[in-house]
Amino acid sequence: MAARVGSLAAAPGLRLRRAYLRHEAATLGMIGLVGFAALWELAGRLGWINPVVLSSPSRVGDALLRQVRSGELLRDLQVTTVEFLVGFGIAVAIGVAVGIVMGLYQDAEFALDPFIWFLYAAPLVAFYPLIIVWLGFGFWTVVAITVFLTAIPITVNTLAGIRSVDPLLVRAVRSFGGTTRDVVTKVLLPASLPLVLAGLRIGIGRALIGVVLGEMFSANAGLGFRMTFYGARLRTTDVLVPMLVIVLFGVVATQLVRLLEVRLARWRQV
Amino acid sequence: MSSDAVGGASASVQAPARPASARLSLALQRHRRGVLGTASVAAFLVAWQVVGSRDATTADLISYPTQVVATGAQMTASGELGRNALVSLQEFVYGFVPAVVLGIALGLAMGRFRRVRYLLDPLVMAFYTAPRIALIPLLVIWFGVGMESKVAVVFLGAIFPVMVNTLAGVEQIDPLWVRAVRSFGAGEWQVVTKVVLPGAVPAVMAGVRLGLGRAIIGVIVGEMYVAVAGVGRLVQVYSGAGRAAELVVLVVIIAAFGFACITGLRLLEERIAPWRRELEV
Repeated sequence: MAARVGSLAAAPGLRLRRAYLRHEAATLGMIGLVGFAALWELAGRLGWINPVVLSSPSRVGDALLRQVRSGELLRDLQVTTVEFLVGFGIAVAIGVAVGIVMGLYQDAEFALDPFIWFLYAAPLVAFYPLIIVWLGFGFWTVVAITVFLTAIPITVNTLAGIRSVDPLLVRAVRSFGGTTRDVVTKVLLPASLPLVLAGLRIGIGRALIGVVLGEMFSANAGLGFRMTFYGARLRTTDVLVPMLVIVLFGVVATQLVRLLEVRLARWRQV
Repeated sequence: MSSDAVGGASASVQAPARPASARLSLALQRHRRGVLGTASVAAFLVAWQVVGSRDATTADLISYPTQVVATGAQMTASGELGRNALVSLQEFVYGFVPAVVLGIALGLAMGRFRRVRYLLDPLVMAFYTAPRIALIPLLVIWFGVGMESKVAVVFLGAIFPVMVNTLAGVEQIDPLWVRAVRSFGAGEWQVVTKVVLPGAVPAVMAGVRLGLGRAIIGVIVGEMYVAVAGVGRLVQVYSGAGRAAELVVLVVIIAAFGFACITGLRLLEERIAPWRRELEV
């Protein structure tokens, strides 16, 4: 498709074309994003859509500023971040520990396998009302839902990571008198880290869903709560602001883990 | 990948005893996975039954297996379950089928035409990573409390994973194959149907599987948020009433539906792409 581009053009045009081709993905991507926003704004201004129902970029921008100034957004963000960190942290601890135990002892794997499979295949959201029945409304319910949703993919990935470790490495440590603890800390954990991190990356998305879901149904603060709050008052623009923040939160968290993965990959290659 | 190689701690191998018991333990050893799996599930159910039925308070909180079965039978007999399941199933099908068809088509277009891909990529990724359930309050504002808003939730939840995975599947096809078919005089249509689509089947199926999970979650959460009927609405009603037995029945039904769908998808994939089976060991 690109072969016929600019072979006979004049020099300045050629240079421009080359610059375009080099940044074609970014340029067209920006055009797509800006075009989408412009179309949305224009549709509201020209009366094709009702901006009260469907909002518009300029309205969202105003609402964002207003929610930041009143301190409401930062408060909600703080609540959501704490719940996310606590839930995700517990899920990582449980998931990695269970994954290691299952990888170390085949009997444990056989015994836990049906449960893991059920939980992996089942839409876990359905358990959430039971958690409310057990823990009531508020912080710990949100954390519990987050842990519930997140621990499973981390467990499965940790197990897969431990299985991918070369048994020869383990036997080498053993034959030099290493204990099970040595095997875990010196071989299994470092060697399975890439797959564990991949599990963490999948887990972030699920943890975020868990936090938002928990807040939507059983909290009185946080970004998820704010969305239901404004949703119930039919204020589209105000719903979009926390949603935007959640999307950004997910992107930033995922990129952080990816950065970690890249750094690690570099270390592994050396 | 024996556990002895990795952990070396689980080898409680039988000593050379009398032949009969030796044979028994050998059989146990061979079917260890099945035996241990069944035993742990059975132990879980027994423990649940014993703890749950001890007194009225725990029965209210966690229920117990026989009560769950009885409740399930009663809910089925009264027609309550069937009626609501039908509504949820309709919402699921109306949203999921168009999402898969459109998702594959758009993913193909993005995979085959570079400019389309560049133009749509940031938008699609933004929607793909956005928590879909976050859209539910908005969709209710736009489409009302009836079935339409849930169909929209399902559609939006399922289309992006299908699209993204189809795109990935098309991109990883060896360009050599496309050139080979072209050099034998194939047009774009033939390239797509003979090379691109069959080659992308595993990735597309992975996307459909991902979308399926999100679609089921979408239906349930959407109905829990606000609805007039459906399994999710039942969940909401019974959770408000704190009825553990009914909730467990609903959870099991939703899980079973998800499990059945995923199994069905795997069978379907084996039919469309039988060559894949050889790769999966």
